[in-house]
Amino acid sequence: MSEPIIQTNNLTVYYGRVRGVKNLNLAVERGEAFGFLGPNGAGKTTTQRVLLDVIRPTAGNAAIFGMDCRKQGVDIRKRVGYLPGELALYKDMRAAEFFEMMEYLRGFNGATGYWRTLSERLDLDPARTIRTFSRGNKQKVGIVAAFMNKPDLLILDEPTSGLDPLVQQTVMDLVREVKMDGRTVFFSSHILPEVQAVCDRVGIIRSGELVATERVTEMLAARFKRMTFTFSNLPPAEVFALPGVMEISRAQNSITLEVRENLPQVLSMAAQHNVRDLETQNMSLEEVFLAFYEKGNGGNHA
Amino acid sequence: MLKLLWQELKFRRGAMLGWSIGLCFFPIVYIGIYPSVATEMGNLADLEIYKMLGMNLGTFSGWIASILIAFMPLVACIYAIINGTGTLAAEEEDGRLEMLATLPLPRWQIVIVKALALMISSLVMFLVVAAVSVQVFYAIANQVETDIVALDLFRAILFALPMVFTVGMLSLFFAAFAASRRAASTLSAVVLIVSYFGNNLAQSTEVLEPFTPFFLHTYLNASPEAVTAGQQAGDTLTLLVTGLVALALAVFFFEHRNLTVGVWPWQRAQVED
Repeated sequence: MSEPIIQTNNLTVYYGRVRGVKNLNLAVERGEAFGFLGPNGAGKTTTQRVLLDVIRPTAGNAAIFGMDCRKQGVDIRKRVGYLPGELALYKDMRAAEFFEMMEYLRGFNGATGYWRTLSERLDLDPARTIRTFSRGNKQKVGIVAAFMNKPDLLILDEPTSGLDPLVQQTVMDLVREVKMDGRTVFFSSHILPEVQAVCDRVGIIRSGELVATERVTEMLAARFKRMTFTFSNLPPAEVFALPGVMEISRAQNSITLEVRENLPQVLSMAAQHNVRDLETQNMSLEEVFLAFYEKGNGGNHA
Repeated sequence: MLKLLWQELKFRRGAMLGWSIGLCFFPIVYIGIYPSVATEMGNLADLEIYKMLGMNLGTFSGWIASILIAFMPLVACIYAIINGTGTLAAEEEDGRLEMLATLPLPRWQIVIVKALALMISSLVMFLVVAAVSVQVFYAIANQVETDIVALDLFRAILFALPMVFTVGMLSLFFAAFAASRRAASTLSAVVLIVSYFGNNLAQSTEVLEPFTPFFLHTYLNASPEAVTAGQQAGDTLTLLVTGLVALALAVFFFEHRNLTVGVWPWQRAQVED
């Protein structure tokens, strides 16, 4: 396997006494779209800023393209496009001026003028002054700036925030095109259906620690299941009171369970109570994500 | 780097224009009215309060020195503070610095470019003020008796520029260190006020005399003689070296701290567990 595009080793960041991320070990492979998920304050933005050398690690290290983010930040950033979560722009510039400035400062990388194509696709008028744009249009400016240089790696923090559904689709198309080019995307988002739609793998971060890294398909298919059992006589609730098993609903003849662990025991118990039918449903990424954050659901899924 | 510098200057064009016009108020009004107030000013020359404010109003050269070497650069220093703190700390606070810091630019280059932009914009303002001062001087030259020539005025104004440079670089350093515009501008303003009044008061009271080497204004001669003789090379060098040291410290602290999170440099090591 080739060297990961992004690699962090025991990456730890503290802001004074406040935890940013802790012992983060992450590897993102070339050509994949990696979704980085977590609630506000989990450490997603901190990780992205460390990768771009905006924030320095307290311990551990991070590398992109095999180069140390701290020591070779300039060389790395030549090949990275970044969309910050809290986008702030030079409001008195026209969007076109801003893109030209960014193009020049990033180095052309053979993609001169690509911002015009991107602006058209996102229905953005680059002749207008940034100050006059709505929030969504300002976000489009940030997206164009991130993609315009055709970077080898795109780091996107909430890329579709503030965009209407049509533009969200266009942005997801752009992400897919980057993937098809063999380039890499590392992005965080709270809109989990879009992560599910474009990402190959996801990492889930909780309280600064990575609690799961898996292929989206595997995570959805194998890790969490929603199972509906139909019985002649419903067994009592205690039967399925197993660790990692939660009863979601109970009807006249059926019980729906969310099963994260102890699948063989669940099936065995169902068989002992004369199960008549079984229907299995994969959970959505959103449901999986929420399951990781349920109370009492410690870090035992890592 | 040049493109970034050009952009930085473009961002400042409005400020440059506004401040140039504002600073031209000094030569246009104060030099322009001198012939009509010369006698009254001569009567006020010995008032202690004016001396404590660093003003010598009794002669035309004293008037020029007070207005164009003492006051005008003092006001220009406010521009240097606003820009020095705004260009790093304010951009960091409002998030624009993150955009810049994630471009393939070394951090030292960002600080140097911003320092250069500050200096170039200050130089442009001083050149405008100097040019306007010369024009006003020509307009009133036949109404005042003086040995001063137009070139003296031009030179006197430009020789005050190192003071603005030093204050600007100190502001940049405070901004790079503190990551807070409020803290940086407060510190810079305190330095400026203490320096200006401390130096002037030290000429009237012995108590402050031991501190004069620490007042920046000790190194800017605003006496009537300075208009024709210019500033002492040692004083100018002291200001420039102080400014350069502040710039070096700004680069050092900007290189070694986390951006966008406002954390003090020494806090990074305090890990809880």
